[in-house]
This record gives sequence, structure tokens and C-alpha cells, in this order.
Amino acid sequence: MKKVIYLLAGLFLSTTAMHAQDRPMPKPGPSPTVNVGKPEAFTLKNGLKVIVVENHKLPRVTFNLSLDNAPYTEGDKKGVADMVSALMGSGTKKMSKNAFNEEVDYLGADIRFWDSGAAASGLSKYSGRILELMADGALNPVFTQEEFDKQKAQILEGLKSEEKDVKSVARRVTDVLTYGKNHPGGEFVSEATLNNVTLADVVQNYDTYFVPGKAYLVIVGDVKLKDVKKQVTKLFGAWEPGTAPTVAYSDPQDVQYTQVNFIDMPNAVQSEISVINVVNLKMTDKEYFATLLANQILGGGGEGRLFLNLREAHGWTYGAYSSIAGNKHVGAFTSSTSVRNAVTDSSVVEILNELKKMRADLVSAEDLKNAKAKYVGNFVMQIEKPATVARYALLTQTQSLPEDFYENYIKNINAVTPEDVKAAANKFFLADKSRIVIVGKAADVLPGLEKSKIPVNYFDKFGKPTEKPTVNKPVPAGVTAKTVLDGYIKAVGGEKALKAVKTIYTKSTGTVQGTPLELTTKVSVENKQLVEMKAMGMSMMKQVVNEKGGYMVQQGQKVELEGEDLAEMKASAVPFEELTLASKKDVKLSGIESINGTDAYAVKNGTTTFYYDVKTGYKIAEAHEAEGPDGKKATQTTYYSDYKDVKGIKVPHKVSMNVGIELDLTVVEAKINEGVTPADFQ
Amino acid sequence: MKKSIMALGSLLMLGATASAQKVAFEEYTLDNGLHVILHQDKSAPVIVTSVMYHVGAKDEAPDRTGFAHFFEHLLFEGTQNIKRGEWFKIVTANGGNNNANTTDDRTYYYEVFPSNNLELGLWMESERMMHPVINQIGVDTQNEVVKEEKRLRYDNQPYGAMLAQVKKNMFKVHPYRWTTIGDMAHLDAATLAEFQAFNKKFYIPNNAVLVVAGDLDVDQTKKWVKQYFGAIPKGTPVTRQKFEEAPITKQFTATYEDPNIQLPMVVTAYRTPAMSTKDARTLDMVSSLLSDGKSSRMYKKIVDEKKMALQIGAFNYSQEDYGVYFVYAIPMQPFTAEQVLKEADAEIVRLQTELISEKEFTKLQNQIENRYVNNNSRVEDVADNLATYYLLYGDVNLINTEIDIYRSITREDIREAAKKYLSTNQRLVLDYVPAKDKAQN
Repeated sequence: MKKVIYLLAGLFLSTTAMHAQDRPMPKPGPSPTVNVGKPEAFTLKNGLKVIVVENHKLPRVTFNLSLDNAPYTEGDKKGVADMVSALMGSGTKKMSKNAFNEEVDYLGADIRFWDSGAAASGLSKYSGRILELMADGALNPVFTQEEFDKQKAQILEGLKSEEKDVKSVARRVTDVLTYGKNHPGGEFVSEATLNNVTLADVVQNYDTYFVPGKAYLVIVGDVKLKDVKKQVTKLFGAWEPGTAPTVAYSDPQDVQYTQVNFIDMPNAVQSEISVINVVNLKMTDKEYFATLLANQILGGGGEGRLFLNLREAHGWTYGAYSSIAGNKHVGAFTSSTSVRNAVTDSSVVEILNELKKMRADLVSAEDLKNAKAKYVGNFVMQIEKPATVARYALLTQTQSLPEDFYENYIKNINAVTPEDVKAAANKFFLADKSRIVIVGKAADVLPGLEKSKIPVNYFDKFGKPTEKPTVNKPVPAGVTAKTVLDGYIKAVGGEKALKAVKTIYTKSTGTVQGTPLELTTKVSVENKQLVEMKAMGMSMMKQVVNEKGGYMVQQGQKVELEGEDLAEMKASAVPFEELTLASKKDVKLSGIESINGTDAYAVKNGTTTFYYDVKTGYKIAEAHEAEGPDGKKATQTTYYSDYKDVKGIKVPHKVSMNVGIELDLTVVEAKINEGVTPADFQ
Repeated sequence: MKKSIMALGSLLMLGATASAQKVAFEEYTLDNGLHVILHQDKSAPVIVTSVMYHVGAKDEAPDRTGFAHFFEHLLFEGTQNIKRGEWFKIVTANGGNNNANTTDDRTYYYEVFPSNNLELGLWMESERMMHPVINQIGVDTQNEVVKEEKRLRYDNQPYGAMLAQVKKNMFKVHPYRWTTIGDMAHLDAATLAEFQAFNKKFYIPNNAVLVVAGDLDVDQTKKWVKQYFGAIPKGTPVTRQKFEEAPITKQFTATYEDPNIQLPMVVTAYRTPAMSTKDARTLDMVSSLLSDGKSSRMYKKIVDEKKMALQIGAFNYSQEDYGVYFVYAIPMQPFTAEQVLKEADAEIVRLQTELISEKEFTKLQNQIENRYVNNNSRVEDVADNLATYYLLYGDVNLINTEIDIYRSITREDIREAAKKYLSTNQRLVLDYVPAKDKAQN
């Protein structure tokens, strides 16, 4: 039952170029004929639709299970679906995780699972077993607390690893700004939302969404229909029927006027630029083909206008492209590029010019002809491949396409006129309501951008509105190290109150990778100090400074502190260093710096820099520079926040340290002039 | 019960079926020295025309690094019959796509067209070889573009400098010590005449291989190949200097600070033999064994069971003259690089002292067979492989027989290779750490 339709892939026209007499550009031969193959298909009683494309050229097979559920939001538990994806594949009700992984690898196969599907591929001689394993992993997963904790820790660590990645930040923030935080397209996983997710949420998500109502299993390769039909029925027949809920979301809104949304990342050496607006474009819309061609002409590749302008004419970027896709769900039209900092504003202006040109002018006959040729050519080259046949069959179902959509594809592409392209550009390329998201280095980019006269709004790395980042802010006249330090003393309680403090004791707690930590600090005016970190009741690190000297015990090993290290530590082993700092000669105010988005005066004392909030006077950070074991200089920064009153003195109750990773501590107990005995410092 | 017997049955089928496809090809050499390989595959109306030139970053002068990659860009600028800016348009206007890539050893240019444009593809590649236009405007534009490519791929990329740092440390005299993209100062300093001389030296028929693969008629193709490439004059044969690295006999360390990362990475690197050796393939198997798949030794123990690392990987980066074997890991806090390294080292010691099990060995065989089938699944890949096997391995038929080399590797070979190449005294330990925050702005 193979329905074959022959099509003439017409309209391969050669471009006229300057020819040397003896080596003219060759003319194309007769167009290849095209067969639009139809796969075999069948549906199980529970709703699972199966598409099979037999192809025996290579001894391999692929299985693809996809659940065409509607997108949904997870709110303050964003990350449940991510956790489902992370946990699936770690064992089934029949097989332990190790046995399962062992066998998949043994077969040389690749099997993956995620919250809305699964995929497997491998040698066709193992086809039967590969499908069995995939079905078992997909339908009988086990979710354990142990695996949950592990995967969660890994995702958290992964989030951290991306914090300084300009591209990751750009992706996240562009989505949030375009779709909004409460839309499935704009939500993102953060440490806070992931911490709200429980194992029960994961199980519930799987039970709710991993159902066959809108499921498709696509099988391509060296298999026999008869065999797979029998096997699929056996393996997936018992999958309990069900359909995932569909929640309607109001479409995200475009901005009222074209504007820049700027996110500062001081480590960026290139700006990530996306000029973006929301679109509703279905593959069945009458403008669909014209829109594809409009996008192709604007930014479809190395011959697109964006590329020719930004890269070939100006050398500003490695690439510049635009994208739009037909989908039953809301999407976006995006023009994007990565350019060096200095040409950010010029690039934005040129992208907008190209968008406006698409809307104002008719494209030339040649541009349109070339764009059509690319689409037709790709169609011709792809259509005979078994994976393409399967993909098109799947799209026909999931996007509700007419049965003859791909048979008429070439005809519909060729029917598009320059007027159609212009109309599509006007409908979908909203040059006057574009959001221009730029993630880059403010110090380099902002001065030029401001001159471009496009309004600029500022956001943080998570899409929250923020103040304009200050770039090299000058210190106001009259402010010195002494006034800053005095300001701090006043802010936390005044000189008199501070001088009455003999000892401070704090206990704080925090976690690292799910392991609870407890930190105790005790300090006295007699230059004595104790810092001890415990994990699960065991001492991980202990540091003592006393009248005799100082030592550190780390994982059972004791090291005496000596020389400069000890001298420095002793000097700082007092409740309030600031009381004496101002009188030290080499203490200097080095400028205003931004500490996590807050302007702070930086006061330098030798290798230590203190940061005081310009507005409140509080000390918000302290950076200590030291030589690491490798002889390289390294800076360790401690951040202070959440100042609370303890006996009339403001004490920070949140302390974060950056020791390669962020270690966040919350003070749970703070005492002044009590809770400390001389024995503590032995 | 029945089910488990069936499962067992499928496992025992191993090796029963004749494996994979045979890639048929024909090869010959034109009078000007251009080697030609034809491969017919009529399963889809697609044709690939490609040229691989035996020039890469290792053929550059130490004060002019980045030239080969720069030419990957420059040779799209136009020819005597293709005006500047027309190359991509011609390809698109005829329904095709094209690209190029560069390594330390070779540069590869290709077009993929619907099969009725085979002649066009041959004409374009012959134009590029015969008389490319290399002028100042092209050099100036691509100079900026390449700088953006470097920022995009390396400078703005977490862990983007890892390979560069390893190469710099692992090679003292061999040109593998610099990066493929090169030093931007060298490109800035280069004159137009230098670029033209580099073109004349390396981009010649007798330093290249032409591959035509896909839906083609053999006789017609040969006629066109002769018509378009036959007239290109032979160049002065390329002579290559040999660079020998002194063996590494003592572990050494290096540190690099990356401003784009938050979590440190630790990397160990060992120097290994050329890609054409059996040992290089043995080391491929070693890396599969250590980190390919969830049941692989390092992944299972260090990431899954002990949760000491967020990521771990081992791979054998094989090249024409030497390879580098890497192990890299991102420790999970609170574990340190040293602790993770200790675990990874224990796995290598295990390989050096114990034979791997028969079961693991069969697993490796299956993985290699799967990879082999996938590596030759698209006609684009077949074209690339044919060119590579000719140019860098000197034997086109390896496309069919390389799997036999892998199959001939024994469990003992694996143990011996681990012993011979992966000892701690033969390696670099690179601490790849986050750059300390400079004052924000």
C-alpha cells in the first residue's frame, strides 16, 4: 500500500553570472522526479499512533516516542518536568538502573527518556530488545528519593555552571521577556523553584502527562512492519489510556514600541542580540509559504540579507540569521546575531533597517526565485530519506495538515509572489513593535546604544527590571575612606555601642549539595577568633587565632598559621575592624563598584577590600586576596546582607562565600557579650 | 519466563548477521596529480561534490598561525568567473547548500545539490582550485569575520580555551601547539602577498582529493571531472617538515583562568601516536570503555555512584602526526579536583593491571559496529570519510576495512595501550579554573 506520487521538481533556474568564455557556469540537468512516500500507520486501542517507515539500506533502526501534549506552566515548582526527564531511565520496575544501563551499552544502542517522550536507536539485529528496553523504561520507570536527590544536585550544579555563560543567560532572558514569566515559553528553572519540587511532584507529573492519548511512536529502519506491529501491540498495548490536560494561556504581548531590553554581563566579549516579536503562524495558514520565503530572504542563511549586511559587508559578526516556524502553539519571529561589543549599536540599526526594507519594498524577482529554489532543492534532497518521510507523516498529524500537504509543497512554494512576501513581512516582522534583547558588557556597549536614540530598559539576568548599570561611577567630592568607615559605624549602631562589644558569637547554617553545614564563629576584642565548620556533626574545618598564635585543622590535618597570614588574621580577629581601620595610613578608598547590582564604596586595606553600600552604609562584601597553593593569586569574596538588630547592633544574618561555588549561610543564632569563653580559643 | 528467554536469544544472535554495508567506490588520478574518488548511491536524488586539501594549521609558520582556517573563509570570496558575494547565491539558487571546515591537518570544502546540479558543483570546486580571487577587500572583511568567530566560539564560551591550553602545553616543537583559528595578531600582520603565496603553495591539484558521491552517472562524471579539473596546472609538490616531540617523562601542571565559568574543571592529557596506528584505535576503545555511556567505568563510578563529578569524559583526539588523550572532569562541590583525579586515575590503573571482562569487550565491539554504521549513513558523511581515508590515512578502502582493525584489537592490546600511553608520569594536569571576579566594571 505505498502511495507514490510523482512530482516534477521544476524551477531550477540558473543564476546569470559573468562568464569567462571558456568556463561558463553549467546549466542544471533535467529536474529529478520526486516520490512522496507514505509510511505505514496503525493505532492501538489506547490511542497510541504508530508510524512505520521500512528501509533496509542500513542495518539500523530508530524508535521515537513523542507525546504531543499542550505546553503548561509549573509556577514556583518549575523544574518538575526537568526532574522527570532526569529521573526516567534510571531503572524500571523490572530492571535495576545498573542492569538497564549495562544492557543498553552492551547492545551499542542509545536510549533516552524525557518527560514527553523517548528515543532509541541501534543495530537492527538488536531491534527487538532495544524496543523492549525503551518500552520498559518509558512505561515502568521507578522514581526513588536517592536518585531524585542526586539528579537535583546535578541540575543545581549545572545551573551554577551556566551563570557566567553569556549565551545561556541570553536564551533564558530572551524567553522570559518575550513570553513572560507566567507563560510556558518564558518559565525557567532556578535554584529556588527546583528546591520546591518533591519526589511526589515528579510521580504525579509522570502519571498525568506520560499517557498515550496524544502519543506517537515513529519507527524507521531495517525492520518488518509485521514484526514491529506485533511487538508494539504487545509492549504498548497495556499502556493505560489517558489524555493530558490542556490549559489555555493568553498569548504574550509585544511591546508597544520598539525598544532595547539590556542585560549587563561584564565578562561578555560579544553582545548577544535578538530582535524579536510574538507570532501565531500555523502551517495551514495561507501566509505560511510566503512567510517561509520572506524569512529565507531576510535571514535564512549565508545568502540572506542579514548575513550579507552584517557579516559580508561589515565584518561585524560570524553570522546573522532570522527564524520563524509554523506551529499550532504561539511562537516568535527572531533576528539574531553575536557581534563584538563595539559594533552593537550599529548592528541593531542595520537589523532594523533590513526588517523595515522587507516591510516597505517588494523583493526582487531574483531574490524570490533563489529563495524558492533553496526550499524546493532541500525538499527534493530530503524527501526520499526515510527519516523525512516519517517526520512529515508525524507533522501531518500533530499540526493537522491536509493529507496532500507535502504533495502540494513545491506547487505552493512556487506560487508565492513578491506581494505575498511583503504582506507576510508586514504581518509577522514587527519592526515597530520589536523587543531588542541585548546581553552584553554595559561599559562597552551602552554609550553607543544610547546615541542610537532607541529607548533602553534594563533587566537583570533573570528578566527582572533593574536600574541602569553604573559604569565607572565617580566618587562624589568629599567622600574618603574615613567618611565611608564612619558611615558604616554609624549605620550599624554608632561608635559608642560598638566599642562596648567584647565578644560576638554567631551560629549559621547552610547546605552544599544537599549536605547541611553548620558554621560557628566566635570573636573577641582581644584579637582572638574561632571559626568552625561542621557537616553532619563532624568538624570539616576549624580555625583558631589566640594570644599564642593560630592554627587550622582541615579534614583531620592540623596546620600552624605563621608569618603574614597569621598577622593579617590576627588584625582582623576583632568584632569591628572598622573601629581602627580609619586611622591606618595605607587604607584607601579605591572607587565605587557594583556588588551584585548594588553600588558600593571599595575600601582597600592591603590585600583585603571592604565594600560599603553607598546608600545604607552597611558592609555588603569583603574580598580577600591570597596566594593559592599553585602560587597564583586568588580572591575570595564574602557577601553580607539581611542586617538585623542584636542588642542594638546591626548584624548581617546572611553570609555568602564564593569558594568556587556559592556557599550561602543563614545566621540562626547571634549573641553579643555572651556565649563565648576563653576556652573557645584554645 | 518466556520473555527472558527471548531476550537472551536476541543477545546470542550477536555476530550472526552479516554486518553493515559495503561502500563501493572508484578512484583514479588526473595528470595534474588531483586524486579523484567516485561513489555512486542512487537512493536519493542528492549529489555531494567536495575537495579536501592537505593543508591545516600544522602547515603554518609559527608567526603566521590561522592561515589555513583563514583560507576556509577566503576561498568563498569569489573566483575569476564567480563575482564576490555570488558564491552562496549560486548555491542557493540551485537548491543546494555548502560549507567548509578546517582542522590542524586538512581543509574540506563541499556542496550538496539535487543531483541535476552535479556539473555545477564540479565547476564551482574547479573554479575555487583554478583561480580564486584573493584581494585586499576579501582579506579585510574575512579578518573581521574570523575575529568574531573566535569571540563566538572561544572567548565568549565557557571552557572555550580548554583545547588551546592543552595543545599549548602538550606540544613544544610540533605546530599542533597552536590553535586552528590562530593568533589574530598574525592575521593582522599578514600581507596580501603572503596570503597569495600560501594559496599557490597548498591549494593545488596535487595536494588535494576530489570526491563525488551520490546519485551520479560514472562515465558522465568522469568526463566533467576531466573537463573542469584537467586544465588546472600542477603545482610544486608540497614538502613537509617532520616535527618530533621529546617524550614526556614527568607529570607537569598548568593553570588557566576562564572568565566565563563558575565551576572549575580538571584536565589530564597524555600524548598518543598518530591516528593511523593501531594504538590510536585501541585508545579510542579505551575512551569508550571509560566514559561512553552510563555503564562506562568512569561515569558509573565517579558521576553516578560516588557523585563526585558533575561531568567526566575521556576521549582520544587523534590527528595525523600525534594524538592527545584527554580526561576531563568538573568536580561536584565539595569534592576537589585532586579527589576526582584520584578516582579517575584508579580506573586507569585498573585498566593497566586487569584485563577487561569478556562482556565489556563484547560491549565495545557492539558500540564500534553501531558507530561504524552511523558514520557512513549519510552520503555527505561517506564523501567526507572517503576523502579523509585517502588524504590522512593513505588508504581509501579503510572505509570498509577499518572496522576489521578495531575487531583485531584484543583485551590484552587494551591493557598494553593503557600501560604504554596513560601513565601519570607521561601527562599534563591542567587546572582550568574560574577567573576571579574583577571589580564589576
